[in-house]
Amino acid sequence: MSLSPPSSSPSHPSRRAVLSGLGATAAAAALPGCGPETSDRSSAALSFWQFFAPRGASAAQNEWFDRLVTQWNQNNEAQVRLQFVPNSQYVGGPKLQTAFSAEDGPDVFVVSPGDFLRYSNGGVLEDLSPHMTPEAREDFYPDLLASRAVDEAIYALPMGGGPMAMYYSVPAFEQAGLSEGDIPATWDQLLDVADKLTTDEQFGLVVDTSPTYYQNFTFYPFLWMAGGGIPGHQNPQGDFDSQGAVAALTLWQEMIESGVAPRTLLGESGSDIVSNLGSGYCAMQNAGMWGVSALAAGSPDLEYGVFRLPVPDDGEYVTATGGWAFAANARGRDPDAAARFCVWALGSMDEESIGRVASWCLEAQSYLPYRRSATEHATQQGFFDDGPMRTFRDEIFPGALGEPRLPSEMNKLISDAIQACQLTGKDPAEVAGTAQEGMENLLAAYDGAPLA
Amino acid sequence: MTMVPSASVDGRVAVPDAAHGAPRADSRSRPRGAPGAGGDRVAAAVLLAPNVIGFSLFLGVPIGASLVLSLFDADGFGAYDFVGLANYGRMLGDPLFGQSLLVTCLYVLGMVPGVFIASLGLALLVNARLPLRGLFRAAFFLPHVVSLVVIGLVWRFLLVDKVGVVNQVLEPIGLGGISFLGDSRYALATVLAVSIWFYMGYYMIIFLAGLNDIPSEYYDAAKVDGASAFGMFRHITWPLLRPTSFFVLVVSTVAAVSGAQAFDLIYVMTQGGPANATSLGMFYIYQQAFQFNNYGYASAMSATVVLSLVIVTGALFAVTRAGRFDDE
Repeated sequence: MSLSPPSSSPSHPSRRAVLSGLGATAAAAALPGCGPETSDRSSAALSFWQFFAPRGASAAQNEWFDRLVTQWNQNNEAQVRLQFVPNSQYVGGPKLQTAFSAEDGPDVFVVSPGDFLRYSNGGVLEDLSPHMTPEAREDFYPDLLASRAVDEAIYALPMGGGPMAMYYSVPAFEQAGLSEGDIPATWDQLLDVADKLTTDEQFGLVVDTSPTYYQNFTFYPFLWMAGGGIPGHQNPQGDFDSQGAVAALTLWQEMIESGVAPRTLLGESGSDIVSNLGSGYCAMQNAGMWGVSALAAGSPDLEYGVFRLPVPDDGEYVTATGGWAFAANARGRDPDAAARFCVWALGSMDEESIGRVASWCLEAQSYLPYRRSATEHATQQGFFDDGPMRTFRDEIFPGALGEPRLPSEMNKLISDAIQACQLTGKDPAEVAGTAQEGMENLLAAYDGAPLA
Repeated sequence: MTMVPSASVDGRVAVPDAAHGAPRADSRSRPRGAPGAGGDRVAAAVLLAPNVIGFSLFLGVPIGASLVLSLFDADGFGAYDFVGLANYGRMLGDPLFGQSLLVTCLYVLGMVPGVFIASLGLALLVNARLPLRGLFRAAFFLPHVVSLVVIGLVWRFLLVDKVGVVNQVLEPIGLGGISFLGDSRYALATVLAVSIWFYMGYYMIIFLAGLNDIPSEYYDAAKVDGASAFGMFRHITWPLLRPTSFFVLVVSTVAAVSGAQAFDLIYVMTQGGPANATSLGMFYIYQQAFQFNNYGYASAMSATVVLSLVIVTGALFAVTRAGRFDDE
């Protein structure tokens, strides 16, 4: 990837400027109506795009963001203004991307590891590390900060994260004559228990089936536990055409073909635990820690439990943990102020910042803080005293690996492999081999930040 | 745009020029050079100007920009590397592009005849003297006034595995286990069915306008001669409806090939899945541009789709002699 040098002549538009205009025009023509509704350039405040506030679904999250921005604006000249972008437009949609293409990207935005390389390789992420103290940097769990860093530079600060686990409905277990002692610990047991839980009106198990990088994220623990991996990915080493990867793909195929898991899900996707587990569509669901707060808000009467993802016969327990992070636009109106805002909000050693991270993770959301100090703060506040939160901290989180950051096309190759095995019944060994070859070809031509 | 036959005062049927949307009887009524011809040209220029300007600004310029962009490796963040025709060469070795073209062909082959037959059938139905005819017309057109995204969400809910309404209805006949959107064997057909259901009301209105412009005297005369309902359709309705049919054929083909009629549905209902089974060309172009940041490659694919549209539309015009059915 190469960046054209800036124009030296102020009197003539540069090739880059002309092409930028052409690009923006073409993008606008390709998908009318997907660009930003209003130009933030005309506003003095730094724009902060995310899908939580000011008009998000959760009152607690709205309040957290509102408090955050109000506190900042009261003490800083550079003001920050929240702009809500619907999740469908943000995560899978073109709004953020088209804004950057039109050189009108937000000053501050949230980014996940699955999308990190796109913006990092595009050169639009501001280095936040100059604003962080060494103490604050060391306060983050290094493995979980690594997917947002390139060399010594830190390009995004995580708000926290939700490791993947398996939720189950206690009433569904009881109706099937099962108890806590039947909670599956191995893949074989998982299929067996799911089969017992499957009825005419209910599936035994839900795993995501939509072809997105979220599905990849939910698949990684199974891939890693069986000893498979992603070429070029540093941790863990492994290949996609290994026996482990084939075993994981075969498991996901068997879930569908045996009829214990559905091909289509209710609600937004497999992350929507209220629409699936909460509605009784399934008895067990593979979902992240955010499910705790989602169920508390959407299905408060549901009695449920949570357990570690089952392991293959010879496998070792691993799960994946992701999470959104604040990032500053290096090409925004005031990158320095935007970076200071991100660090002030989530990466400072001030008591206020530590408490804010803990508050986001335990009050506004159900996440594990990625900072030791915030975890300690939350523990002192009693957030982990009992229930699913304690299970997540003590049993599920140990052994968690950060969500890999991969180029978008690599995500697509993995997604195609999962989909082909899961939903079309293709031979996992053949599919894994094709995916491996595709990934190797892609990596041979890849010129960007290292995969982490 | 009036694209339907209309009865003139002397009782003859003036068939419009489908290519230009104006009755040719008018354009032939005054010889060239006759007084007033210059004024007509000015009037025509003034009346056409908004359309021409709009087309140039919002279609011509972006199409040109897209063609230029297809010669570059553009990442969407301001980096542009001239690569010549490499993006076009890349298409040849891209199996997903090939698959998306295949899916598009299947979609077009299902959509165009499907929506044509359904909408013509509905138009004939609601054109008959039925009680509550207006209500039926409104009911058939109603889906078209709802956002396609909402339509997609509702159908996704209705078609969900096992507990969806459609599966519940089909359960007694042993088809309740089908996953309409999650099985690659049925997903495209399901999206196609929803597309036809959504658009048939719109094209029904166009056909209805065409049917209403056929003079009733023809049918009266045919009845006196003892013609059957099918005979009247074959010898009166079908020939006089051909300009309207041509319009529907061209518009639905263009919309189906470009994916304009299906993008929202696929985005909401399947995300191109399962396993790319519903990944139309337009959806794959969207992924390349907005998910993979390959703007140059996406532009090259767009140019290819536009070229295929020009060929298909050109073939339609050639086969039908630009819709001049009345010259037979």
